Amino acid sequence: MELHNVLGFPILTLSIFLPLAGAMFIWLFVHDDRLVRWLSLTVSVVTFLVTLPLATRFDNGTSHMQFEEFHPWIETFNINYQLGIDGISMPFIILTSMLTVICVISAWECIQSRVKEYMIAFLILETTLIGVFSALDSMLFYFFWEAMLIPMYLIIGIWGGKNRVYATIKFFLYTLAGSVLMLIALLAMHFKTGGSFSILAMMDYPFDFTWQFWIWIAFFIAFAVKVPMWPVHTWLPDAHTEAPTAGSVILAGILLKMGAYGFLRFSLPIAPDASQYFVPFMVALSLVAIVYISLVAMMQQDMKRLIAYSSIAHMGFVTLGTFMFTQQAVEGAIINMISHGFVAAALFLCVGVMYDRLHTREIADYGGVVNVMPVFAAVMMVFSMANVALPGASSFVGEIMVLVGTFAADPSQLDISAKWIAVAATISVVLSACYTLWMYKRVIMGDITKDSVKTMQDLSLREFSYFVPLILLVLWMGFYPVPVLDVMHESVAHLIEQATTSKLDAAAALVGTSHDLALH
Amino acid sequence: MANVTFPFPFPENLELLLPEIIIALMAMAILLIDLFIPKEKKQISAWLAVASCVVAAAVTMNVTGAGPLTTFYGFFVLDPFASFAKLLMLLATVFGIVLSLDYMQKEANMGEYYCLMLFALLGMMLMVSATNFVTMYLGLELMALSVYVLVGYQRNVLRSSEAALKYFILGSLSSGMLLYGISFLYGVTASFDFAQVGTAIAAGSSDIRTATLVGMIFLLAGMAFKVSIAPFHMWTPDAYEGAPTPVTAFMSVAPKVAGFVILMRVLVDVMPALQHEYTVMFTGMAVLTLAVGNIAAIAQRNIKRMLAYSTVGHVGFVLLGLIAATPDGYAGVLIYMTIYLFMTMGAFAVIILMRRDGIQGELLDDFAGMSRVRPGYALVMGLMMFSLAGIPFLGGFWAKFAVIAAVIDAGHLYLGLIAILFSAVGAFYYIRVVKYIYFDEERVAFNFSENRFIQTAVAVTSIAVVAIGLYPAPVMEMCKSALVGLI
Repeated sequence: MELHNVLGFPILTLSIFLPLAGAMFIWLFVHDDRLVRWLSLTVSVVTFLVTLPLATRFDNGTSHMQFEEFHPWIETFNINYQLGIDGISMPFIILTSMLTVICVISAWECIQSRVKEYMIAFLILETTLIGVFSALDSMLFYFFWEAMLIPMYLIIGIWGGKNRVYATIKFFLYTLAGSVLMLIALLAMHFKTGGSFSILAMMDYPFDFTWQFWIWIAFFIAFAVKVPMWPVHTWLPDAHTEAPTAGSVILAGILLKMGAYGFLRFSLPIAPDASQYFVPFMVALSLVAIVYISLVAMMQQDMKRLIAYSSIAHMGFVTLGTFMFTQQAVEGAIINMISHGFVAAALFLCVGVMYDRLHTREIADYGGVVNVMPVFAAVMMVFSMANVALPGASSFVGEIMVLVGTFAADPSQLDISAKWIAVAATISVVLSACYTLWMYKRVIMGDITKDSVKTMQDLSLREFSYFVPLILLVLWMGFYPVPVLDVMHESVAHLIEQATTSKLDAAAALVGTSHDLALH
Repeated sequence: MANVTFPFPFPENLELLLPEIIIALMAMAILLIDLFIPKEKKQISAWLAVASCVVAAAVTMNVTGAGPLTTFYGFFVLDPFASFAKLLMLLATVFGIVLSLDYMQKEANMGEYYCLMLFALLGMMLMVSATNFVTMYLGLELMALSVYVLVGYQRNVLRSSEAALKYFILGSLSSGMLLYGISFLYGVTASFDFAQVGTAIAAGSSDIRTATLVGMIFLLAGMAFKVSIAPFHMWTPDAYEGAPTPVTAFMSVAPKVAGFVILMRVLVDVMPALQHEYTVMFTGMAVLTLAVGNIAAIAQRNIKRMLAYSTVGHVGFVLLGLIAATPDGYAGVLIYMTIYLFMTMGAFAVIILMRRDGIQGELLDDFAGMSRVRPGYALVMGLMMFSLAGIPFLGGFWAKFAVIAAVIDAGHLYLGLIAILFSAVGAFYYIRVVKYIYFDEERVAFNFSENRFIQTAVAVTSIAVVAIGLYPAPVMEMCKSALVGLI
């Protein structure tokens, strides 16, 4: 087996395990909180730098996996340590390593208790997240996917708000219950394909429709909980609200994307016929998320809850674009995910900045913040506008691509024209302006009515420092998204080819020749 | 049984029995030596017991041949399968003794305690080497009688005596069922030997079928009792709660290993012809066991009772390996027991070390805020709980993975589905322990016992759980190659 790795050294392994090694070092040898902060920052920055060559040395001209690695891991079950990335997974790895740096900086002052454990948890979380996006063996994927629960459970439960225990147990059980079905599906596929856990082998194996149907359902439950899609979204507002700022940033920035990434990596290429079959279902759920959840977001009194619901609505765009099977829509969905990684993360950081000063997240407790924090008001303005998908912001690119891609799509499974879906989805643009700008108005604008607001200090240099790269990225992707699109063109084209090529003929040809594992 | 005539010739290959001989002699020797050890140096007996386990383990590894060897006129077999089980049980016993050090210092500290543990071990070792129902029953009863006494070791604690009595009465009942089942099988086949009974059942005509089935049901029910398969699990929570905590740790691992190993032997040697019948029986019991273990544990406030139900839940998983009835399934059982040994011993070691106002904490509330006082123990307890819940990068995940993979490969997809859904339900009560340890505030002052040896046990188990979680391949290979002799 030929491995494509232009760098000639295991850069993905290094990216995955550098944070873990740093965490181990801090755990064993560092006891001073100040030193812990600086060391974690160093580790996260170095990890970010290590992941940069993945982007700079990335070959845009192929859909083949790159920077591949392969080592046997558990030979008894033919589970391998198989890594590799394509244009779909690469941006998420960079996003993860970047947001982790921001998380570490954002926690500099607001986390005062158990600093060491906090930093260790975040570094371990980074390991599992990069692992998820670079795994090409489905058991390795599952391994990282589930291991992620442990640090996240602790982050929300230890450093979260008042209702943190309820929120974190809900988060843990919801996601665990969702993903165990994926394990069953992976095992069933493992035996069906003749003993392989490789995602690439599963993509190539012709499953018949019954198989695809059940595989798709199992994957759907796992990924829909993670995305989250209506109606299994209820863990997210709680988890977001109670998590510490950096926890919300990672949750919104990366964790939600894991679900959508799962659809792209597993559901579409492995079960293309079932994916086509379920298009109306997915479209319906996505539209409910876009429209209904936007309305719910409007009524929130708590800023973090509002942004959490807004995240669900934006992820509705992502799932909608994913299941339109057009180049534009799928690319738009991915751009939307990356952009939402910046924007939602930044909005949570904004709330975190205010929370650090007044220790409340209620919209009603603020008002007129612009008078005391002009710089902050400007920063938040940028991200609020980006959340509305104003032209010039990265989210505009994503949403317009999804809408245009949907408009142009012609899914034969639907009774109505895809144009109406695009029209319905466009409602969300209006609604997102309503809830975002209304929140901005109530919190930032107006006269100061509360005495506590008068005491608020404007952004410190440290706080400003983590907003700057996010602002630049949002604007850059808003004005010139071509480099990011170039990265994913080939991979997305390949994915759409896989997703629109029926496996049924090949499956029919295979009947009688393969060893059949009976579906009971 | 080759030509058993009187007078018996001296058994050949007696060296195969060397580990058992060492344990038996040392158990009796410790009982005597203990009389001459002054009260403050009673730990010597414990170390003698550990030493005998270590020597027995070394001998076990050396006498193991490539294939099965028999001695005692074919009543006793030594194959890699039995050796592997013996090593596991010896390890569990060493852990059990080390965990008892602290407890015995505070209590009467008598050598008979370690002597009883060794006798229980001896029973189990004989049991896993049994080739016929007589050896099996002798080993089983030696084990059971020793454990009954260990459970009731705190004579002046009502709860302990009550637990022992309950365990004894129910245990006797199950032994009765076991013997009743054996007698049916003997009546049908006129033999006690596993292989001969198996051949006779396979060749049996239809008119002996009812008697065979009755025998099978009673035999398996009796064995199910010993390994806490629902609905025969009722004694487990009471016995676990009442027993001294080190005994709970010991009895939640070693007898389960022995029980499952001999169960595998019986299924493979005696009942291949009844595979359909016992699969039906086990399938129902497995679902029930998983449900009881994972749901009832949620309601528990006492951590020992909780872990008792957790054991029942894990037994349900192990049953999946037996239902699969493939080499992968049987290997899965061994993998599960190996990993389970480390997880359980680690969890109990922390429970034993933890004290509040000098009293051993047993309620879940007692763990509140532990991470602030002893982050190291908190971390280990957290890891053990996540591992027991089956979350990856910890060993427990691969244990579940192995049996579920086997049962799906064998065509029982729905069983894998049921099991994994129950494991998600069960995750709740494990992460609840983590919640007490990490999220809650400290309420009462902790004062931990500082026994270095128990601390070492904590370190060894947690390293094992993490190492197996990250790289399970060696354990899986080992368990797979340990099947020689079984199949």
